[in-house]
Amino acid sequence: MTHTATLELTGLGKSFAGLKAVDDVSLRLATGEILGLIGPNGSGKTTLINIMTGLLPKTTGTVVIDGTDVSRYPAYRVARAGLARTFQTIRLFKNLTCLENVEEGAVGVGVGRRQAVVRARDLLAEVGLTDSSNKLARELTFGDQRRLEIARALAAQPKFLLLDEPAAGLNEEETDALLQYLKPLPALKHIGILIVDHDMRLMMSLCDRLHVLNYGRTIAEGTPGQVQNDPQVIEAYLGSEAKAHA
Amino acid sequence: MKRFTDWLLRRSTVWLLLAIFLIGSFVIWWLNIPLIEDMFTVGAITLIMVMGFQMFMGNSGILSWSFVGYVGIGAFVSAICSMQPQLKSMQIPVMYDVLVKIHMPFPVALVVGAVVAALIAAVIAWPLMRLSDAVGAITQFALLIVINVLLAQWQEVTNGPRTFTLGGTRLTTFWVAVLVAAASIVVAYFFKESSWGLRLRASRDDRYAATATGVNVIAMRYVAYVISAAIGAIAGGLYSHYILSITAASFYMSQLFQIMSMVVIGGSMSVSGAFFGTVLVTLADQGLRQFEFFLTQQGANAYGITEIVLAILMILFLILRPGGIAGGRELSLAGLAGRGRKRKQKREQEEPLEPDTTD
Repeated sequence: MTHTATLELTGLGKSFAGLKAVDDVSLRLATGEILGLIGPNGSGKTTLINIMTGLLPKTTGTVVIDGTDVSRYPAYRVARAGLARTFQTIRLFKNLTCLENVEEGAVGVGVGRRQAVVRARDLLAEVGLTDSSNKLARELTFGDQRRLEIARALAAQPKFLLLDEPAAGLNEEETDALLQYLKPLPALKHIGILIVDHDMRLMMSLCDRLHVLNYGRTIAEGTPGQVQNDPQVIEAYLGSEAKAHA
Repeated sequence: MKRFTDWLLRRSTVWLLLAIFLIGSFVIWWLNIPLIEDMFTVGAITLIMVMGFQMFMGNSGILSWSFVGYVGIGAFVSAICSMQPQLKSMQIPVMYDVLVKIHMPFPVALVVGAVVAALIAAVIAWPLMRLSDAVGAITQFALLIVINVLLAQWQEVTNGPRTFTLGGTRLTTFWVAVLVAAASIVVAYFFKESSWGLRLRASRDDRYAATATGVNVIAMRYVAYVISAAIGAIAGGLYSHYILSITAASFYMSQLFQIMSMVVIGGSMSVSGAFFGTVLVTLADQGLRQFEFFLTQQGANAYGITEIVLAILMILFLILRPGGIAGGRELSLAGLAGRGRKRKQKREQEEPLEPDTTD
């Protein structure tokens, strides 16, 4: 029951016409933990998520989910192998109701309609959207859309959840609510979370470990405390002059 | 018992639509005016086409130009299957001997027509299903032209550009058309609500998000396309056995345009929308034709005014209300009750109740 699964990326790379957007990135995530992926704009975080989920074809490397090599799987089979995600620019099914959106999250990976409804109701209650069940997704406020997208991803009961900038566009209060919701989630649902975000306050208090990218390459990995003091990370974020002044 | 009533309530859309349609049919049948019965029968056959069209286009969001081609395939195949061999060799002297010999009962012929159309769709569709938006629409359009050219030129099968006359009596009766149309509403609704329908609708709204939730978008489109072709072919078979003389031109742009205007005006994303679009456009069409006839009698050359008005209506809908009348919503008891409640609330807000004197 409480078997620990791992998500393992080895030597992952992606080139766009010679430009290496992601270059030889390896990381490991186990169920029960939260790994943060940070780096300056354009450092390849979203590309990394897109190639590990199969949405973009990768140039090199392998992705192994709980012992299954999914490197050559089409995107929908990667999802079925236990990798759910949200998008930086929210991608909901705009003309479906909130309930249908979450149901689809379960139905998409092969759960029957009847069981999917039960799951969807529970998840909507969990993220506080029960009252909006029959509203169309496009009628929701921005913050509610973010929560709906997370509920949809969880409906698949994935082993791993990838969150691409879930706090973008949220105010401080909403970000705190998100933190409160996500923090106990790995233990509760027995999943591993990989999160990308620019909100350092959120990332520092949420993540067990941080993985830092710059120009598509890994420059550091460790606990938030270690990474914060890593000279290479400081340089990447503040430029080399900052180091000179420090 | 409670579970059963719950089920009825949850599926109220399909019962309401069936009730409206069947009550309408009974009234028309009771009135017993041949001209109106005739219009209604053709309307019911058109409704089957609309349901088949909505099933693919409404759920996948891909404009399926080729649909009417499958209607034509069904019309010709079922006619060839059901006609008496002697009649066939008389009407179409050049027909292949193998085809002349075939003879089967009408219902079987309908099914064979549907199966042939579905097989053709199944063979062609896989590469097409990767395409959506403009590219998809253009390839679909090209496919329609291919099917049309085949139907219009393959004279050993379809009598080529000449009229294909079935002869004999109308095998599609009023009630046959009504019952199959009722069945098509049920199929379209339950497909939309099935897990396949849900996945397909998800892919319509956002292909990438659907893929990321485990949906094999191409496979879902493929299944819907093939079923849609089969339903279209059944409608085609009913059509040819009602009209009794067909040509390839019966299954081309003008027919497609009619189906499309119904679905666009009613709202492609819901079965209710497609249903009411069919009712509305059929009524408007008949009304406009009467008007056109009247104008022509007055000496004005008004030929074509019906098509022009419908085209303008469709353009206006596309600009002002792209979701159609229904806007993706289904007719349902819960929806009707909700609307009643809202209206009441609004009334109460507008005219405050008597001042409360009890306290």
